[in-house]
Amino acid sequence: MSEQNKQGLPTEAELAEMDRDQLLKLGGKLDGVELVEYTEQWPVKGTKAEKRAERAVAAWFTLSGLSGLAFLGVFLWWPWHYAPANTDGHFLYLLYTPLLGLTLGLSILGVGVGVVMYAKKFLPHEVAVQERHEGRSTELDRQTFVAHLADAGDRSTIARRSLIKRTALFGAGTFGLATAALPLGSLIHNPHKDSANENGLWHTGWLAHDGERVFLRRDTGDPHVVELVKPEDLDAGSMETVFPFHAPKTASGSVDYAKLEGILAGTERVDEHELVDALRRSDNPVMLIRLRPDDSKRVVKHQGQEDYNFGDFYAYTKICSHLGCPTSLYEQRSNRILCPCHQSQFDALQYAKPIFGPATRKLAQLPIQVDEETGYFYATHDFNEAVGPAFWERKS
Amino acid sequence: MTSKKAEAAGESKAARKQARSSKRRRRISGLLALGVALIGVGALYSAIAPEPQTAVAAQDPALVRKGEQIYNNTCITCHGEGAQGVKDRGPSLIGIGEASVYFQTSTGRMPMAAQTAQAERKPPKLSPEEIDAVIAYIESKGPGGPKMPEEHGQQLRGDNPARGGELFRMNCASCHNFTGRGGALSSGKFAPELDPATEEQLYAAMLSGPQNMPKFSDRQLSPEEKKDIIAYVKSVTDGNNNPGGAPLGGLGPQSEGLIAFIVGMAALIGITLWIGAKS
Repeated sequence: MSEQNKQGLPTEAELAEMDRDQLLKLGGKLDGVELVEYTEQWPVKGTKAEKRAERAVAAWFTLSGLSGLAFLGVFLWWPWHYAPANTDGHFLYLLYTPLLGLTLGLSILGVGVGVVMYAKKFLPHEVAVQERHEGRSTELDRQTFVAHLADAGDRSTIARRSLIKRTALFGAGTFGLATAALPLGSLIHNPHKDSANENGLWHTGWLAHDGERVFLRRDTGDPHVVELVKPEDLDAGSMETVFPFHAPKTASGSVDYAKLEGILAGTERVDEHELVDALRRSDNPVMLIRLRPDDSKRVVKHQGQEDYNFGDFYAYTKICSHLGCPTSLYEQRSNRILCPCHQSQFDALQYAKPIFGPATRKLAQLPIQVDEETGYFYATHDFNEAVGPAFWERKS
Repeated sequence: MTSKKAEAAGESKAARKQARSSKRRRRISGLLALGVALIGVGALYSAIAPEPQTAVAAQDPALVRKGEQIYNNTCITCHGEGAQGVKDRGPSLIGIGEASVYFQTSTGRMPMAAQTAQAERKPPKLSPEEIDAVIAYIESKGPGGPKMPEEHGQQLRGDNPARGGELFRMNCASCHNFTGRGGALSSGKFAPELDPATEEQLYAAMLSGPQNMPKFSDRQLSPEEKKDIIAYVKSVTDGNNNPGGAPLGGLGPQSEGLIAFIVGMAALIGITLWIGAKS
């Protein structure tokens, strides 16, 4: 290419005469790339080996397609409904999830393997070398680049458009502030600071409003059913998890027993959201424990909590005083209450004080009594301390 | 005047008669009311009160004698003469009930091999007939206590395993894990896995509260709820909760994550090598 000009570029006439191979070489050379090796995989067309390779790739794509169809078939028509163990449909039901995974997995695997195999078998074998300059760019490149940037800034005229500058700063800055407010807000303003706030950390769902009676409710698995707990429901050495139920009131402020009876019988409607919320609120669960009579004689009560129990019945919060896990592992013979998260242990015979593990405070005790009219348990008032883990405002 | 007197006399007579009859009526109605009230109270009591603790007079004396023999051979060392218990060795068995004896002996926990933190499940030492005899003997010492249900095997599986699952997670999962894998308790004790337990044993355990497990009376968890719980336990234990083909211990994310990491990483590395390799 003797006719090339100073930059080594072909003239227009030369360009028109070049074939594709020459153009390829020229393009590589301009980018500093040299093709060392560039051989075809199948120099002789139509050999048996080539056909075999072709069929192998096609087989993977076909497998992928068939698996995809199989996935659609399983997804649409497989008997996926739950069938209990030892019934007829159980085995087919068990296969549903694995089949979905298997068919869709094979489908995408087939496409992937097919593409990789095609690249391996049919794309030409290429080894290319590219020259890179060492160290930093030349002074020429650096200065022209900086000039380019400065020019772009200048010509955008942003330097003298102070109105746009200020409004843009205002918009972007406020957006940034709003984003930061989300994580920072809770560190600055404490929503639980007000101890009179009944939804705050100091109170639980057992807090009664204007003298209403809060009964101990059992979770039957159906959140819309109200079932209350009586002393005779529990054998000695039992534990039951109970939740608060705020009984309806009459105009005079006492318990509306007629309505309560209706609610328990299922004939009277109650706010269903309230019923579900009572089971879900995180500081509500309480363990109602009935000690064995022999153990009951050894009980040591906490000062100020002497009348919190009802006979052998003691009610402690289920929320661990360490980090708030449910401490519901009650051992009825050793009378220990265990927390599964960090192995704290509390002694049910000694006001649930911690006897092992990282917890340092006792479990809060709920004062309970039995309703004279109906014989159901109720809480005489909310816990006398905050339940669960420590927080900033808590002194002990 | 006389007529008036007579009238008056007649009136008073009638009045007296009326008074007497109303008195009689009052008395009768009072008696009736008392009767109704008594019957009502009786009916209410029988409806509300727990099963009366009746002595089992119908016990076969030969069975009781056989039970006593077995008791004296295998249980007396720890539980003492007449099932009264021995201090620091074994508790009194008086009044513990059929369900308790059945659970402890049929799971092989009793007789215990050694005084350890926990009685472990092992092949039962007593045959079903011997267990019946021991039950008869213990019942003769102190009747009452939790009884075994009438149903057996499959009949003890309720038809609502979903509700059973809710109740299991509320009442049982804290110790036995969500799918009955068991877990650690204090001082070397543990809650066992529920795979080998039969329906009868699950029922008896809930009712009698063996070792440190709390009791769940029929008033706390009704027999139907217990059966639903059994149906749930049976549907998730013993290889039944295995939709992926390998339960990996059923321990949750730890084992699954580890296997996914090791197998997945190995597979990814293998595929990467294959893609990069020259053909």
